[in-house]
Amino acid sequence: MAHMEIRFSGSGGQGLLLSARILAAALARQGRHVAQSNAYEPVSRGGLSRSDLVISDGEAAFPLARRVDYLLILDAAAATVSTHLLHQGAVVLADAERVPDPPRGDFRTIALPFTETARGLGNPRVTNIVALGALCTLAAPCPAEALLDALLAMTPARFERLNRDAFAAGLAMAVQEPA
Amino acid sequence: MTATLRNLEGNEACALGAIRAGCRFFAGYPITPSSEVAEVMARELPRVGGTFIQMEDEIASMGAVIGASMGGVKAMTATSGPGFSLKQENLGYACGAEIPCVIVNVMRGGPSTGMPTRPAQGDIMQARWGTHGDHAIIVLAPASVAEAYSETIRAVELSETLRVPVVVLLDEVIGHLTETVDLAAVPEAPEVWRSFATGPREGFQPYAVTDDLIPPMPRPGDGYRAHCTGLTHAPGGFPTQVPEVATAAVTRTTDKLVHHRERIESWQVQDAEDSDLLIVAIGISARAARQAVRDLRAEGLKIGLFRPVTLWPFPEEALRETVARSGAKAVLVPEMNQGQLVLEVERVLAGRAPALRLNRIDGQPITPDDIADRAREALK
Repeated sequence: MAHMEIRFSGSGGQGLLLSARILAAALARQGRHVAQSNAYEPVSRGGLSRSDLVISDGEAAFPLARRVDYLLILDAAAATVSTHLLHQGAVVLADAERVPDPPRGDFRTIALPFTETARGLGNPRVTNIVALGALCTLAAPCPAEALLDALLAMTPARFERLNRDAFAAGLAMAVQEPA
Repeated sequence: MTATLRNLEGNEACALGAIRAGCRFFAGYPITPSSEVAEVMARELPRVGGTFIQMEDEIASMGAVIGASMGGVKAMTATSGPGFSLKQENLGYACGAEIPCVIVNVMRGGPSTGMPTRPAQGDIMQARWGTHGDHAIIVLAPASVAEAYSETIRAVELSETLRVPVVVLLDEVIGHLTETVDLAAVPEAPEVWRSFATGPREGFQPYAVTDDLIPPMPRPGDGYRAHCTGLTHAPGGFPTQVPEVATAAVTRTTDKLVHHRERIESWQVQDAEDSDLLIVAIGISARAARQAVRDLRAEGLKIGLFRPVTLWPFPEEALRETVARSGAKAVLVPEMNQGQLVLEVERVLAGRAPALRLNRIDGQPITPDDIADRAREALK
């Protein structure tokens, strides 16, 4: 894996930056180099929010996203804003409930029940962690155990059970397919 | 293999670099997009016996930093946009009185309050000429998180050893960018301090003309009588308007940087041997250029990059030599303003090669494709 770009997008307050930060930490512990950039609006909740990871073997020449390989969309607010960064072979993971009309084109679009699954676990706030699990299976940026370690290290201990369950549900939700 | 790799944000790296270099005082007033520098300093300084003060505004912050430094402590502040404008008067005092201090300025859209969360590179000239009068100042322009760390260390060291304010000039993208860095890559080195006055107290001159043009500073409590003022002062420290004394006083401070130019200047060159077009850029624009050079080289186009790490004083001889050695027919200066760095490049090259412009002021970073398109057009 020489170079991979992942965008977490949705609405402010969905934990997108946290998910990206958890994955970035796991990757750094695996010896990969990550550049993470964020964009959000000057509001405390809501508004378009995104976090990009550019993963490379050394310091990225250009640290911002140019051609996104995996695009996660958790809210309709972010449904169309990143389409220009998608290329043939890119994968879009959209929340089946909150993104009724995800981008479709010369790339793969998968709608998955992130929100519904989180609600079933008792707390819709772990939607981001369910999605992180699914992303881990599909993009395989690092071993799932490494990502789980980072997740538990960077979230409050009282939510450990919930986060473990959410992550496991996400991992099981998606099936990795040969390219 | 990877035990020392960690993810760090640019602003956080500035704070940690300063602390590693021995900075133990921070006074500031939070402002986007520089607030994380203050946030990290507020958390970390007390752990190492340092002092963090949130002041009532940027003017007072700069004053507190100057006072702390005169008191014998390495001191820093951080700000953005309008805050950097507010600091200019006291920054001028630090230049005139030769007080070591570091000012981190994370550039955002301007003028005035502008676009607080959006990146810009519109303070290139302000960082050099923001305070009035002829003055010496150093400006360093990191282009990565690793460099935000190492250049802030260098900023503290240069300010201490040369008795000059040093500005660490980031753009919002670098300030808010998180990258994987190895802080252990910066080798352990003995802590660097200003030269403190030694010898007889009698007849001590706080602004004596020494061979290296850097007067030793009296350490408070050591018993030296010292007068410090923003007024143009004679070697004894008291104001003067005697024409030749005033000329010598200001000239020594500016000659000081010329004299120590080799220690101050820093630049990086990428693929500059045999280039038809040489890009000159700083900060995130230089990162875009780094990628554009790779992309264009892959197409067979001869493109190189010259990146000033020390922005002021501009590494002018290095640029002239790089242009001459590469055989570049033109230079291209991408920057997130209406054209500031390009003015210095034009001055330095003095017609040896035309300087082409690429500017964005829309709050969006210049992309590798922006640069590649402009370069292809220029090479047609």
